[in-house]
Amino acid sequence: MVMMDQLVGKLFDEFPKESNWDVVVIGAGPNGLMTGAYLAKAGAKVCVVERRYEIGGGLATEEILFPGYYSNIHAIYHMMVDYMPAMRDFNLDKHALTWIKPNLQMAMVFGDGSSLLLTKMIEDTVDSIHKYSHKDAVAFGKHMRVWQRMMDEIVGPATYLPPMPSLDLIVGMQRTEIGRELLELNEKSPMQIMKDSFENDKVRALMLYATCMWGLDPNETGVGLFVPLLLTRAMDKAYLLGGSHKLAGAFSREIHANGGIIVDAAEVTKIKTQNGRVTGVELAEGRSLNAKVVVSSLDPKTTFLDLVGGDKLPAMLKESTESWKYDKWSYYTLHVASKEMPQYKCDDPWANESFMTVVGFDSAEQIVAHWNNVMKGKLDKHFGGHITCESFWDPHLARGPEGAYVSFFQIHAPYDIEGGWEKKSKELEAAALEKWHRAAPNMKKDNILMAVGETPVDIEIRLPNMRRGGIKHGDYTPMQIGFNRPNIECSTSKTPVEGLYLCGASTYPGGMVTGGPGYVAANRVAEDMGLKKWWKPTRLMEKYIQTYLQ
Amino acid sequence: MPKDERYDFVIVGGGPNGVTLAAYLAKSGASVCVLEERPEAGGACENTEPIAGVKINPHAIMLYGAPAPGFEQLELWKYGWRIDENEMGDLMADASRGVACSFGMSPLTEKDQLGFAKMAGLLTQPTFTKELLRSVFWCPPHPPEVEVTIDNIPYMQVYKKYQPDVWTEEMLDMDMFDLMDEHLESEPWKVQQAVVAWYSGAAGHWKGVAVPAWACAITLLICGRMRVPRGGMHDYFHAVMRCALAHGAVVRTCCPVDEIILNDGVAVGVRLRDNATVGEKKIWAKKAVISGVDVRQTFNKLVGPSHVDRGLLQRVNDISLKGGSIFNFHFYTRERLEARKPWAGKFLGGGYPQDSREIYYDHVADVDGRKGNPTVPPERALWLSTPYVRFEPTDRQVTRPEGHIMSPVYFLVPPPEYHVDGPDAINKIKDQITQYIIKAMSSGPYENLNSDNIIHVWTNSPYDSEFRNTGLIGGTWCGTRHCRDQWAEKRPVPELARYRTPIDGLYLCNQTSCHPGGLFLQAIPYNLMHILIEDGLVEPGPWWYSSPYYIPQQGKKSAKRPQ
Repeated sequence: MVMMDQLVGKLFDEFPKESNWDVVVIGAGPNGLMTGAYLAKAGAKVCVVERRYEIGGGLATEEILFPGYYSNIHAIYHMMVDYMPAMRDFNLDKHALTWIKPNLQMAMVFGDGSSLLLTKMIEDTVDSIHKYSHKDAVAFGKHMRVWQRMMDEIVGPATYLPPMPSLDLIVGMQRTEIGRELLELNEKSPMQIMKDSFENDKVRALMLYATCMWGLDPNETGVGLFVPLLLTRAMDKAYLLGGSHKLAGAFSREIHANGGIIVDAAEVTKIKTQNGRVTGVELAEGRSLNAKVVVSSLDPKTTFLDLVGGDKLPAMLKESTESWKYDKWSYYTLHVASKEMPQYKCDDPWANESFMTVVGFDSAEQIVAHWNNVMKGKLDKHFGGHITCESFWDPHLARGPEGAYVSFFQIHAPYDIEGGWEKKSKELEAAALEKWHRAAPNMKKDNILMAVGETPVDIEIRLPNMRRGGIKHGDYTPMQIGFNRPNIECSTSKTPVEGLYLCGASTYPGGMVTGGPGYVAANRVAEDMGLKKWWKPTRLMEKYIQTYLQ
Repeated sequence: MPKDERYDFVIVGGGPNGVTLAAYLAKSGASVCVLEERPEAGGACENTEPIAGVKINPHAIMLYGAPAPGFEQLELWKYGWRIDENEMGDLMADASRGVACSFGMSPLTEKDQLGFAKMAGLLTQPTFTKELLRSVFWCPPHPPEVEVTIDNIPYMQVYKKYQPDVWTEEMLDMDMFDLMDEHLESEPWKVQQAVVAWYSGAAGHWKGVAVPAWACAITLLICGRMRVPRGGMHDYFHAVMRCALAHGAVVRTCCPVDEIILNDGVAVGVRLRDNATVGEKKIWAKKAVISGVDVRQTFNKLVGPSHVDRGLLQRVNDISLKGGSIFNFHFYTRERLEARKPWAGKFLGGGYPQDSREIYYDHVADVDGRKGNPTVPPERALWLSTPYVRFEPTDRQVTRPEGHIMSPVYFLVPPPEYHVDGPDAINKIKDQITQYIIKAMSSGPYENLNSDNIIHVWTNSPYDSEFRNTGLIGGTWCGTRHCRDQWAEKRPVPELARYRTPIDGLYLCNQTSCHPGGLFLQAIPYNLMHILIEDGLVEPGPWWYSSPYYIPQQGKKSAKRPQ
């Protein structure tokens, strides 16, 4: 019998085997989407290709507690909403984005039932610190005024401008007192800054956790500028009602409204080059997209070695790419659906309403000990982590028959673990539930409807570009931040391969849904392609440019 | 956030019907806002990845809507539409595989093949399969002033034109088995067609809908060729949604609608639930509100009984959902589930066991007669598995180092509200049902479906689906059943058959409320476009063409355009 489609006749056309674009963006994570949206609106013919069946990368709100319960399986704490130019440039909130910015951002619940709070309104934190140390309370207020200025005047706006070579940066920073203070701070390790600033161990513990929880090594020197950034950000996290995926949806709407498209379930297997110039990409399914410009949101090893090919790279680029280091640690996250929301055994009932609750640690030393373990590929029973009950803020996630709550417990964990994750994940699930139960007595067996753990290996399987479970696509070390991220040739997004640009978390300024890499790349590509920029820098950025760059 | 939002059309529900309609309307130049309750639009066209690297299909998996005019009219190819081949794709072409029965694969006779080909429109030159299917699904019901006769029923016109020797008046009274008894020979082959129809919302045993029921099977088997859209049904939906967005439609998630606002008996907008992700909770419609929500919720909840004629409300509440709701199993196993002898190499997924219509009738008796938990022994339980998807690496369903996923395996149970032991009765015995189906499958072709091989099983029952997916009343993907009393000019009830409602400015666009039902055929939006054009609410460009079998309503503008 002949083939049915020949008999029936052609029923539909499919996306073409070969197509032509101005710009192809690889990866529909936050940065790829942002680059695509800016350039589409600037008039470029844009196609964003995404490997997964769903866009968003880490902006993922998915039903992993199946059936019935959605979780934010990756990004949840949005820290740059007030700085990200895209929010204003696109008026993104018109896409039904509702940001919830709770005053109580973080509660650390200690083993003895005492607690310490970190709040959006500084004085509430100061009051809480007074329980332990008047000196630290006063110091916190004083430091935060300086650190918030560093954030607003320097680190925040610099996130959305191309990086400066170290010497230029130093010369620039020396123009102001606050700049000189930041330079001084930058020489210290996060742990040193905490020790210099605070005397009480519980206070140090909270501040250190808030600063280093995203993978900053507490003992690394030369990364001190991240302290004002991450601490002020830890006090200014926003939750996106309906889940983080809605932010991806908002960018997708901008891309499509401006003539661009996103193609999903499309894995790029090759970045095509000819005579050292990019000509497009090839997909695993055999389709080919020709493009004047390719912007990759993937990490440098994937982009340069796997997709362009090591033999096609200048020697220096090849060498620096090969030396790229992935994140020192990743996460194990236990997502649960429960009948009741967690109620903590704690001296302050307000802690139950915290955006994030840290359990398992009583001192900064314990936190560091845990991280040191993780870096050695170990986890012992003295672990801790942070918990968020999403359903406390968000009624849209739980869609099961019973009134229920979705929460997660996230623990720093190594990619390579002694004994292997196959075995360890079940053990850790039990240990985490036990620890959770101890901190919040109602989190006992009959309260838990469903639980599913996600290991660092799972992160890499789900989001293959988070190699080794690296949420930032690569470590924050002096050799991999600022002008060095991912290397001095590519940190402004343009690469030595003509027509190839970078826009992912492995490029300056880094990860955490700052939107920085995507914005910097969009600017650079628009300039190089001669596209008219329809957007302008924010007021904070303009002030920064005048003060430090001109 | 704008305080006073106004659109030409406000569509309640961002499932495939609502969003496809949005694409049609936006492409016609109208301003459209779609409001979806869940965090993700797409309705039953969903994929999810409950364990990293293991993708499951909670509901729909295969392409039924291949002949839809929308592929062309909406130019879905532009928006990333792609389809993948799989092992089952050539099932109908490869008649030598036969039909899965308890004794092995039952071969097809020459009469089976010729009869099937003839009825399916494959023996004429040119073939008329596409024409036949379009006449069944892609044509709005006739207007009320037109008497429905054997001469104006679209599919009867098609048969008369292309294959007059099969055209008989009796066709209109037959059920699928009657029709197949005339044209096919072997019992298992007939049962297989009936099973496919049964799992598609139609049935082999309902009188008077033989051709429509069979069309459900043909559109999957011949036109869809059992293929799965690339990236799953959700990415098929993405192509449609991106078409809508590209033409300016607004699609909002986490925006549940609590009320359709009436002003002097006219639908003028909607009120969102307090927890919606927008500031202003009222959204106004300048031309029409379109309910993509099921018909019962539309009238009982969104419009409210105080605005609906009590008689109509009774008829709406009497709509029968019976026909079975889908209990889905998703098996993640170490080894692939392989068919053993005598099914080896030939059973690649599909219904089992299909020996005789007795098995089929026994199953129907459990689901819709006794309306309880299954009573037939597992080895006689009628289930349907879906093919292993032979995608290349990026689109395969398992990207973990280990394992294979068969998702979903379907088994029909009573819709929750009819279950004699209460709506959550099936959920209370989820583990037993899972064991029952494992026994059923492993007593048949799948020898290695056992506890050593199984890594994980996910299930979603109709009861779960009603909560996850509030549009799936009865937890079924077909909405109301496709029986004669609920088909075409009678779907869902005669006074609502042309998508209009007694409330001015309110139209229906949901599988439960509209001809021809579910399966992401893109048919309801296409058909509804005829009606909205008739009412002067929308004027599509030259890309639009109407169904050749469409009859305009008297006194209305005609939606006819040459095809």
